[in-house]
Amino acid sequence: MAQPAIEINGLAKRYGEGDAAVDALKGVDMMIQPGEVVGLIGPSGSGKSTLLKCLGAVIEPTSGRMALAGKAIYDNGWKVTDLRALRRDRIGFVFQAPYLIPFLNVTDNVALLPMLAGLPNSQAREQARQMLAALDVGHRTQAQVRQLSGGEQQRVSIARALVNEPPIVLADEPTAPLDSERALTVIRILNQMAQRFQTAIIVVTHDEKIIPTFKRLYHIRDGRTFEAAGEGRAA
Amino acid sequence: MINLAARDILHGWGKFVFTGVGLGLLIGVTLSMAGIYRGLVDDGKALLAIGGADLWVVQRDTLGPYAEPSSVRDDAYRSLLGIPGVAAAGNVTYLTMQIEHARGEVRVMLVGFQPGHPGEPGYLVAGRPITRSHYEAIADMRSGLSLNERIRIRRHEYIVVGLTRRMVSSGGDPMLFVPLKDAQEVQFLKDNDALVNERARSAANPAFNRPGVPGLLEAVQASQTNSHQVNVVLLRLAPDADETRVAEQIRRWKHLEAYTRADMDEILVAKLIATSARQIFMFLVILSVVSATIVAFIIYTMTLNKVREIAVLKLIGARNRTIALMILQQALGLGVIGFIVGRTAAALWAPIFPKYVLLLPGDAVRGALLVLLICALASVVAIRAALRVDPAAAIGG
Repeated sequence: MAQPAIEINGLAKRYGEGDAAVDALKGVDMMIQPGEVVGLIGPSGSGKSTLLKCLGAVIEPTSGRMALAGKAIYDNGWKVTDLRALRRDRIGFVFQAPYLIPFLNVTDNVALLPMLAGLPNSQAREQARQMLAALDVGHRTQAQVRQLSGGEQQRVSIARALVNEPPIVLADEPTAPLDSERALTVIRILNQMAQRFQTAIIVVTHDEKIIPTFKRLYHIRDGRTFEAAGEGRAA
Repeated sequence: MINLAARDILHGWGKFVFTGVGLGLLIGVTLSMAGIYRGLVDDGKALLAIGGADLWVVQRDTLGPYAEPSSVRDDAYRSLLGIPGVAAAGNVTYLTMQIEHARGEVRVMLVGFQPGHPGEPGYLVAGRPITRSHYEAIADMRSGLSLNERIRIRRHEYIVVGLTRRMVSSGGDPMLFVPLKDAQEVQFLKDNDALVNERARSAANPAFNRPGVPGLLEAVQASQTNSHQVNVVLLRLAPDADETRVAEQIRRWKHLEAYTRADMDEILVAKLIATSARQIFMFLVILSVVSATIVAFIIYTMTLNKVREIAVLKLIGARNRTIALMILQQALGLGVIGFIVGRTAAALWAPIFPKYVLLLPGDAVRGALLVLLICALASVVAIRAALRVDPAAAIGG
């Protein structure tokens, strides 16, 4: 069996100290295989965003272990020195709003990541164009961000998350601003891309419309995760 | 790698350019202040160049004739001509006054000179030199007077026969050259009523009107109405003469003060215009601080408007260096636009200023470097703010 794309054991995060300390995560366990799309659901304040930030190497957990594609990145302390490079090369992000850079055109929004990784501009742009074509926005490569519809912007942001072919993509409420049809389209795209690039995708969501589409779900409550089988309906 | 700063500028170029223009006008004012200072110094140097003199002989213990009043007898030049090394001497008077002409009033420095002697205007741009002994004038073009224009000075009417250029006082007032005798009359001779009054006072004074001394009263009255004073005697030296030695001889034997060109430079720049220069320097400092504050504020605001983009950039792995460079380049871009606009504006409005504004290329280069330095320093606040942006801000919750 292939290495899990993400493996988390006993991950904890405590904010503050002493009497003011808050345990946002109290021993989270997760395992996601390459190509898998899982949902992460839970009420507000349950620790979803904290988990996402820990996984995204944006905040440091208090304890536990995290591994990407079999390689530990955190084991009661960071195991990598350059967290920016880790985020750039091995983790993709899709946000609630597309958060594209408004002063770059579509191609450069996507090409920026490979460029930051040191790829020459021409190669980075070619890679971006291919990814945009895979997401059916290949015809908008020269468009400015403001010229795109909401759905197109979200596709471009997915292209940006996937362009460096990271082992995991973290999607934070990616369908929140979209209607049902577009929300399901985004989930379908994420499933297709996960299969195509063998990327594990964690989708944090509240969206009742898309929850039935996940084959596997993680519920998070009071800082702990509980795995449940999803319905896995076609998006 | 994409130049993020250039892309951001192009994306919102209108706003950026308008901001740059606003800053540019401020820089233009700053450059103009520097130009006014240079103009003051240049006016002073032009004043010294006018007479073609090597030595200025003035009343003892004065800094005359420009920085302090000075009065010398107009026959002193004869004995000065006898000093070895002196090639030519010329009596000159200076009097700043308001004169009326057909289109209004103008403040001028009235210069009395002897044609063919040191002190005469070096060149004419129109008309002819003064050829008559009285009532002809040569005017600097800045006075607004034109050829053949008739002007009234005190009791007499003069005709402008020649025009010259860049001949102004240290205060920037255009010069009006007239024959020495006329200028002496204007400066030293009292009006008729004052003369009559003075004569009556002398006649009533028993010390001057003694019965046993015939002719005394007439002599006293004659001395009261003389106008045989000048402000300075300008000396031109022989090519091999040592100006310091000649000046020393004049001080020692003639009981007058003699200044070399270097001395006059020092008096004009370090004493006469020193206060104005300090005033302008203070304006320059204040304007520079205001410019720096405005640049810092603009760049800071521009950065705060991009907090989310900066958070996303940091989250997807952009280095601090990339973000800092973007802000620094934008600040420098703003400085470049501001400087170009400011330099152009200063050049356009300089001729409108009533006083001479001298915009030197060297000052422009120094100004450009200062603007870029200020912009770079001003961007530090914005860069610090950008580097404090938490990449987690891009993620909800």
